[in-house]
Amino acid sequence: MFEIITPLFLSLIVGGTLVGIIFGAIPGMTATMAVAVCLPLTYSLGLDNGLALLLGLYVGGISGGLVPAILLGIPGTPSSITTTFDGYPMAKRGEGEKALKIGVVASLAGGLISLLVLDLFAPTLADFAIEFSYVEKFLIIFFALTVMAALSSDMLLGVFSGVLGIFVSLIGVYDISKGGNGEMRLVPPGLGYWLENGFSLLPVLIGLFGLAAILEQAEIGVPKGHSTKDIKVGAHSRFSFNVFRGQSFNLLRSGLIGTFVGILPGVGGSAASIISYTNAKTFSKTPERFGKGEPAGIMASEAGNNGLTGGALVPLLSLGIPGDSTTALLIGAFTLQGIQVGPLFIGNNPGTWDAMIIAMLIANIAMFVLMYFAIRYFALVVTIPKHILFPVILMMCVIGAYTINYGIMFDVWTLLIFGILGWLFTKIRLEVAPFIIGFILGPSAEVYFVKSLESFGTWTIFFTKSWIAIVLWVLIVGSIAGSILMARQKRRMEDHG
Amino acid sequence: MGNLTHVTINFKTSHLIFPTIIACVLGVLLVAIVIRDRKRIAASGAYWRDTWGAMDKPRFLGALALTLVYFSLMVPVGNIWPNTGLGFLLCSIPYVLATGILFMHERTPRAILPLLIVALVGPTFVWWLFTYPLFLTLP
Repeated sequence: MFEIITPLFLSLIVGGTLVGIIFGAIPGMTATMAVAVCLPLTYSLGLDNGLALLLGLYVGGISGGLVPAILLGIPGTPSSITTTFDGYPMAKRGEGEKALKIGVVASLAGGLISLLVLDLFAPTLADFAIEFSYVEKFLIIFFALTVMAALSSDMLLGVFSGVLGIFVSLIGVYDISKGGNGEMRLVPPGLGYWLENGFSLLPVLIGLFGLAAILEQAEIGVPKGHSTKDIKVGAHSRFSFNVFRGQSFNLLRSGLIGTFVGILPGVGGSAASIISYTNAKTFSKTPERFGKGEPAGIMASEAGNNGLTGGALVPLLSLGIPGDSTTALLIGAFTLQGIQVGPLFIGNNPGTWDAMIIAMLIANIAMFVLMYFAIRYFALVVTIPKHILFPVILMMCVIGAYTINYGIMFDVWTLLIFGILGWLFTKIRLEVAPFIIGFILGPSAEVYFVKSLESFGTWTIFFTKSWIAIVLWVLIVGSIAGSILMARQKRRMEDHG
Repeated sequence: MGNLTHVTINFKTSHLIFPTIIACVLGVLLVAIVIRDRKRIAASGAYWRDTWGAMDKPRFLGALALTLVYFSLMVPVGNIWPNTGLGFLLCSIPYVLATGILFMHERTPRAILPLLIVALVGPTFVWWLFTYPLFLTLP
């Protein structure tokens, strides 16, 4: 197991974590963007080393968001939104460094809790899922899409986004290698040459998460960077581990909430940190201190969002369903190396599975060491001018899209098309995460659906195949009913002011 | 009852089954959205006017235009020196510089100098990395 740990493997994790922290620390840039931009670099690294880099970026990117959240009151990533509630008030009263270190320690705790759950839970779930037939596999995808849509900010638009993603994924040939008939569909006249195999996954992802984010920033005029004068690390803020006394349960609960939210497809880190924060406040003996610089609030938020990292890998590695947009990008790394993720992945690739667990562990430790001891330097990252960063990122997006299929210029145009679409989605309130997960799962959903009907010759098979199918239907109906109830409750609360 | 639930899949047309179902679901969802959000959709003219009004047009449209020109020129320039990746290198340097200047707020020579260095070093390093150690041909 430990032969995986080579100097290259270690340096890729540490380097990835460092770059990830930098991406996370710059408002407007996210862990997803970091992974999207660096994905083509994994091309010649091999799967284990490539994943080491990407997992480092993922852990670093999620953690780095706490730096501007605390020092500037601006969440570096969506998942650090609740860190601003108590982190920024602490920074304003001169306790910036203390708040940052609380966040770093809580991030480590959340990351390790989720890693433990990943290590214990994913192989068990995968072993269970191996028994699934086409019917159950289709229902699992259906369930994933309903959960994701149900937890969208607007259920109807969330469902629409997911189904639109499936529709776009069906463009091109019905793949013979997956049991299809090799016939083309949904391809506009004249584009058959380019769209024979549909839109490539990675240019789509890089467009939606890289180019679209920069277009959004360009639309608002690429806000000026912050100067060192804006940063209040606090010269005399002493940090002591005593601040964590009595907070073990808060850390554990938040880490587990983050992990659970991560397991749900497409929900994202902001939900993880908001639910963790709300719970910490509800169960606190001093809820009135939350929002005014309460360390327990930072702990809940950061343990929650880092809990997401391991959780989001559980459905990816056991069922082939990405837990969030960043893990959706990891599918790209597996695709590049010709490996399919799903129930058989862990059993067939024990070396890669071990490498991923070790990489996640080292990435969490590296994140802690780097951020704990060099937090004052990371604070300066927020001052890097965006007019230098963004053009370089755009160039890296082009490289990523172009090299992914060994040099096809249409993939670069795909990047532009989906970059503009991603920007447009935010304008018309469509959601990118359900779209992407629909896009990734669409072709599999088609194969499982059609093969189920071909094999059994009846629609009722989706309800009668096994007890697992019945349980999945109960979960599907439950998730839809739950989301309708939540939407009604929300509307009632809004009506009552 | 059995006949109602019985399904026979014609292999020749099996590629159309799922897309047809998904298109129908999309249509139903679209109708539901239009019915629910009809007031908002009716008022969308004002929304788009506001969006257009609030937009930093030079930066947004300029970035799009520069990107279009960049993508369009890369292959023709690359074809002058085939399989060298020089199309990428020669187009990326001005693209990074021009986009950086477009995004910049105070365009002084002192502010442009670091950008110029990045515009020269960044694409050159990436071109070298992909052409030599990674053996991936750029346009």
